[in-house]
Amino acid sequence: MSLWQALAYFFREALVSLGRSWKVSSVAILTIAVSLFVGGVLLLLSTNLATVVGQWRSQAKVLVYLTPEVSQDFLDGLRKQIEAEPWVTECQYVAPEDARERFRQSFPSLSGMVEDWQEEPLPASFEISLDPTELTATALEEWLSRLREEPQVEMVDDDRDWLSQLSAIVALIKGIGITLGAVLLGAAIFTIASVIRLTAYLYQDEITIMRVVGATEFFIRGPFYVEGFLQGLIGGSLALAGLHLGHAVLLARTEASIWGGVLLESFLSPQHQLALIVVGGLSGLGGAILSLRRETLVPAAEGT
Amino acid sequence: MIQFFNVGKRYPGGQHALRELSFEIPRGQFVFLTGPSGAGKTTLLKLIFREEVPSEGQIVVNGRNVSSVPPGKIPFLRRTIGVVFQNFRLIPRKTVFENVSFLPRILGADTATQKRLAHEALDRVGLGHRLGAFPLELSGGEQQRVAIARALINEPEILIADEPTGNLDPELSKEILRIFEEIHHRGTTLLIATHDRETIQRIGGRVLTLEAGTLSGDQLLPSPRDLRSEADTDLITSTESDLATEGEPL
Ligand SMILES: Nc1ncnc2c1ncn2[C@@H]1O[C@H](COP(=O)(O)OP(=O)(O)OP(=O)(O)O)[C@@H](O)[C@H]1O
Ligand SMILES: [Mg+2]
Repeated sequence: MSLWQALAYFFREALVSLGRSWKVSSVAILTIAVSLFVGGVLLLLSTNLATVVGQWRSQAKVLVYLTPEVSQDFLDGLRKQIEAEPWVTECQYVAPEDARERFRQSFPSLSGMVEDWQEEPLPASFEISLDPTELTATALEEWLSRLREEPQVEMVDDDRDWLSQLSAIVALIKGIGITLGAVLLGAAIFTIASVIRLTAYLYQDEITIMRVVGATEFFIRGPFYVEGFLQGLIGGSLALAGLHLGHAVLLARTEASIWGGVLLESFLSPQHQLALIVVGGLSGLGGAILSLRRETLVPAAEGT
Repeated sequence: MIQFFNVGKRYPGGQHALRELSFEIPRGQFVFLTGPSGAGKTTLLKLIFREEVPSEGQIVVNGRNVSSVPPGKIPFLRRTIGVVFQNFRLIPRKTVFENVSFLPRILGADTATQKRLAHEALDRVGLGHRLGAFPLELSGGEQQRVAIARALINEPEILIADEPTGNLDPELSKEILRIFEEIHHRGTTLLIATHDRETIQRIGGRVLTLEAGTLSGDQLLPSPRDLRSEADTDLITSTESDLATEGEPL
């Protein structure tokens, strides 16, 4: 028999067996589905959070406030120096009058305050946009302190500070997610292994009979492995379907709230979806392999 | 060809089930194995297809030393031996058809061939109409016949049967034995364990008698069919009285 014929045989046997003992199978399938569902939820939340924080980071600006008596020469020199840095994507000069205009638009109720002043109350500044991929945290720190030492710079403001704290939190959530996911998956494999071991005990007689009438181990085990794999695939697909459904329902309900929008913004990427199903299949296969290890299957008389 | 050389078998923690067994069954012989319950008949049969391994001695089947067949080759040894088990050993989750055609299926026969072989084998035991049933939906006698069909399907060189007529009525028993005689005529070696004296006398052939694990008798009974053809020599009565006075338990 060719390998393809053998595989076809395994799949047929496994499908028939799944159909005939669906009660036992559904325990394994649900175990995988629940573990992968929880893992999927964590993956979904942390991916979305990471995306959002990434967006915020890329929109974050560095503001360089200049002293009132700043000279045009200095302005030109500083702008050149800033624009020479590879991570700077844009450097915009905001004159004091522009700043006042902006202030008035942002805070209409306070506009009277600035109106009364004779001198320009707000300092001139550079607004610098950055490409975060070009910049490490230490390089940024170094660059900012260099800017602060410039003689006619009053103050350098960086709203990336709290964002880097936020991204540390995202990394933490991701870490917890991965750990929890791994633990859950381990538990799932273990449960599947127990379920299949139970099945193997249940079918111990069956296996012995196949052996006694002349079946090789390959043909005895093949259908069990494929059955485990299929259980895993089904479990993974159920988890994915559950995630889809849960995501759609929650999104509809929490559209208004910021956090709902942030955390549920996008669904898992196609690669992640595929990975979820593949991981399901592999853990089902792993469970089958674990439960049909040689020592659990071979009767004493064969060991000699 | 089956050869036993000083074979002993001791189950873990138990007494000897078999001891000091030596005999030889040439290719194509029809042999009955008889003896009281617990004498070791099933154990002897299991040694031949290596479901059990001997504690002492050597067993050679078709020129292969059974104890030293490497584990990976055991299935190939077993495929040359058809076995009808005392407790049938059908796979409960598989239909009659799947049970009977199991070996052709894993040997790569296409579905049409599997069906044809299964039909042939089941028709021979009168069960051609129960292909889709599960073993537990069958009576004991029907399960026994399915087991016989499974053993026959691969046209094995050696057929071993452990009480193959134990659950059958006299009519069916006769039918099954007729099938055994038929495959014997095709050159298959048969070894049949049975308590059934009547069957043995009706068929004749070689009779091995086990008692408490040792061989206590090895006779060659003439087949009644041969006798009938020589009826005028009055052999039947003399043979039967010979048997009666021989005193060997059958
Ligand atoms: N798996 C086993 N473990 C321990 N002892 C066993 C085992 N199988 C059989 N025996 C013992 O070996 C002896 C022979 O048993 P066996 O089954 O070969 O007898 P038998 O001649 O087939 O009997 P019956 O006619 O009742 O089928 C018995 O004493 C039995 O108790
Ligand atoms: Mg027995």
